[in-house]
Amino acid sequence: MPPSPCALCKINRALILRPKDHSKLCKPCFISVFETEIHHTITTNALFHRGEKIAIGASGGKDSTVLASVLKTLNERYDYGLELILLSIDEGIRGYRDDSLETVKRNAEQYEMPLTILGYAELYGWTMDQVVEQVGKKGNCTYCGVFRRQALDRGAARLGVKHVVTGHNADDVAETVLMNLLRGDLPRLSRTTSIITSTPSAVSADPDSHTNIKRSKPLKYAYEKEIVLYAHHKSLDYFSTECIYSPEAFRGSARALIKNLERVRPSAILDVVRSGEDMAKLVPGSDEGCGGTCSTSIPLAEEEEGGCGSSAGRTVGSDMASMEQQLSQNENVSEAGLEVEITSKRVDVMAQRHDRLTDAVPLPPRKKGQKVKGQGAAFTPKKATKQVMGQCKRCGYLSSQDICKACVLLEGLNKSRPKNAIELGYEEQESETPKAETTNMTNGMNKVQLGPG
Amino acid sequence: MPGKHGEDAEDGVAQLCRRCRENTAVLVVRTDPLCKECFLKYVHTKTIKRLETFRVRNVPSDQQRKLLLPISFGVSSVSLLHILDHHLKTQQTKTRRTGFVIIVLFVDTSTVDGNVPRDHLLHRIQERYPTHAYHSAALEHLFSVASPDITLSNLLPNAAASADLSPAGKLTALMDSLGSATARADVIATLRTRLVVARAKALDCEGIVWGDSTTKLAEKTLAETAKGRGFALPWHVTDGDSAFDVTFNYPLRDVLKKELVTYSTLVEPPLTPLIHNPTSGATQPNMSSKNTTIDDLMKQYFESVEENFPSIVSNVVRTTAKLQIAPEAASRPRCTLCNMPVEEGRFGIHGWGGDQEDGLETLSSGSSTQFCYGCTRSLPSINVAGQ
Ligand SMILES: [Zn+2]
Ligand SMILES: [Zn+2]
Ligand SMILES: [Zn+2]
Ligand SMILES: [Zn+2]
Repeated sequence: MPPSPCALCKINRALILRPKDHSKLCKPCFISVFETEIHHTITTNALFHRGEKIAIGASGGKDSTVLASVLKTLNERYDYGLELILLSIDEGIRGYRDDSLETVKRNAEQYEMPLTILGYAELYGWTMDQVVEQVGKKGNCTYCGVFRRQALDRGAARLGVKHVVTGHNADDVAETVLMNLLRGDLPRLSRTTSIITSTPSAVSADPDSHTNIKRSKPLKYAYEKEIVLYAHHKSLDYFSTECIYSPEAFRGSARALIKNLERVRPSAILDVVRSGEDMAKLVPGSDEGCGGTCSTSIPLAEEEEGGCGSSAGRTVGSDMASMEQQLSQNENVSEAGLEVEITSKRVDVMAQRHDRLTDAVPLPPRKKGQKVKGQGAAFTPKKATKQVMGQCKRCGYLSSQDICKACVLLEGLNKSRPKNAIELGYEEQESETPKAETTNMTNGMNKVQLGPG
Repeated sequence: MPGKHGEDAEDGVAQLCRRCRENTAVLVVRTDPLCKECFLKYVHTKTIKRLETFRVRNVPSDQQRKLLLPISFGVSSVSLLHILDHHLKTQQTKTRRTGFVIIVLFVDTSTVDGNVPRDHLLHRIQERYPTHAYHSAALEHLFSVASPDITLSNLLPNAAASADLSPAGKLTALMDSLGSATARADVIATLRTRLVVARAKALDCEGIVWGDSTTKLAEKTLAETAKGRGFALPWHVTDGDSAFDVTFNYPLRDVLKKELVTYSTLVEPPLTPLIHNPTSGATQPNMSSKNTTIDDLMKQYFESVEENFPSIVSNVVRTTAKLQIAPEAASRPRCTLCNMPVEEGRFGIHGWGGDQEDGLETLSSGSSTQFCYGCTRSLPSINVAGQ
């Protein structure tokens, strides 16, 4: 096949098949278009303002490393006037963070950004190794995810930073959209598609309190494959690692779907993100009317976002098997027409049950042309789907319950007994989770640049 | 183990039916062992329950409510016809009236799809259920001069040059201009819906009863999401007002695909001779194949989820039904291809955060051609840009 010229500059030889749209580009044009797109995301969504101090949630993985590198580049090129710092969380897993934290330290020097590393031990009194010792290997991803989410906000507050950016990419967002559809979780679907979220002000005397921390995802529209390509062609120093625990069935399933979709139609990842944004506006009680850019209605931060591992959040909650069991029980109850006292902790499952019960109410006859919009007047199950977000009575953190997940987990740990999770003998079927791979992508050029910071 | 036949029970001892507690169970439905009679009743009840609004007592004695039933000769639409036929006969016997009548419509897509059922199935089904009216319409009918959907001609490559083509020629030209199997399947399905809606109106039907099972609705939910059609999702999967002035009804929404497969074999005589079995189905698509579509992917996915997690499949469908379209939406400008109302400024694939072009596509003045996000993805850029 004859070499084809770059589709953009028409001069250089094309070396890169762009994952997003399969256009053929030369290396400089790919680098430039990738950066320009993120600049576009930042400006059209008005993510930052001049003089703002931004903490980059840095794990040493590809996403956050590329985020730090691109933000530094754009901040200088377009004169955003941002003060950028790196914030890393050390979960306290022996050997797991050692290399990635070393990578973050090198990045801090290379990008001339101050770095703060906060440990779970410091924040919660427990390292993940101690948690695993306590609760065993199964389910500890739950702890890791819940702790990590809060850790970034706590760390940011400690540093006096009001805005944390994370490396969530388009694949992560698309995966979350499909996962929340599979789990039937509309409120979360609505929240996670937003590019900016915030943790509401906590009324607290604690100066370290994580008050009103804004979060955003500048890489929200960037394909994971392009992030890897960018890191490669810019010779970035990152640590390639996956979460050492496999994702739960819903996320694994959604991830496999996204990979297959991308194969069938490259634009599909972006198309899922677009659908997610559009569907967020259709969720009853949603405040997404402005698409998340309007300052008066920034959606609340995702309670369980984040997680361990290099990029995507590992979400806690029941996996497919236990949810199936729960739903099926609810169906049986509903079929039998029994009224049962509902004391379930799971708000969403309750909501669905509620709907099932009310579905049996026959709707009044409707004649042709007679418009009955929405759900009709016969019943109002809508309120059940809206999760009310408040604050943890113990720590002030964003929570839909009286006591936030972290505090509940901590209470369990501190009482020296495992979380009362029901473990089911279930083997994942759908997920094609890549096994933990560890490749150190250290590049010689970066070592040369390790000068005084 | 849902759907498993009772004979396979480990101990070999026949189980009693959970419902009647008299007969031997022949299969297990969502944890309940059921006998044949109770299973057939279960499928009927689940279906008829969705049609509460069409009870006999809701019809003025001097009127007849008409519903259009599009039949594809797949297991679901054939089962639906069987169930409704049975239901209407029962109503007739009991009350000497029926709550509604059905008109069966077969959309012939053979011009663009070599693997569709032929006329003999329509004859066969007409023989078995003779009391209903039957119609057949070719997909290319949308391009015939008499059709009110004249704007569809704008979809054609070099619209002017295509003017002399026959309707079938126009449809073929459109299909040939599409770049992928996903796009072709998407456009065929979109056109099919438009033709069904147009026929429903022409035949004075107040609504359409679609044969989609729970499983199919879940597939649609994720497939439409993946095709960038999330903005219109409620219009694709919920009961009641559609975007098109006829109601959409999905009476099989609480019945799983695998349950319908079993149902079609247990009915006497079995429905099998009425069902079209595609020769090369999407059941095992080759993932590397260029011919795999997004619809195939979702079909394969949910048919596997359905095996072990039937309630999760139902839950996806129940959840999606809660999405709400704004009341004023129906008055929004329409997409030229799918005819769905689109929010101001949301036409095309540009001009949103996920795209890097700042502007909206500027429409040439006087042009009434504009495409929603999902349709823009399926149509080749030459059609979208060049008018
Ligand atoms: Zn170039
Ligand atoms: Zn708390
Ligand atoms: Zn029985
Ligand atoms: Zn459209």
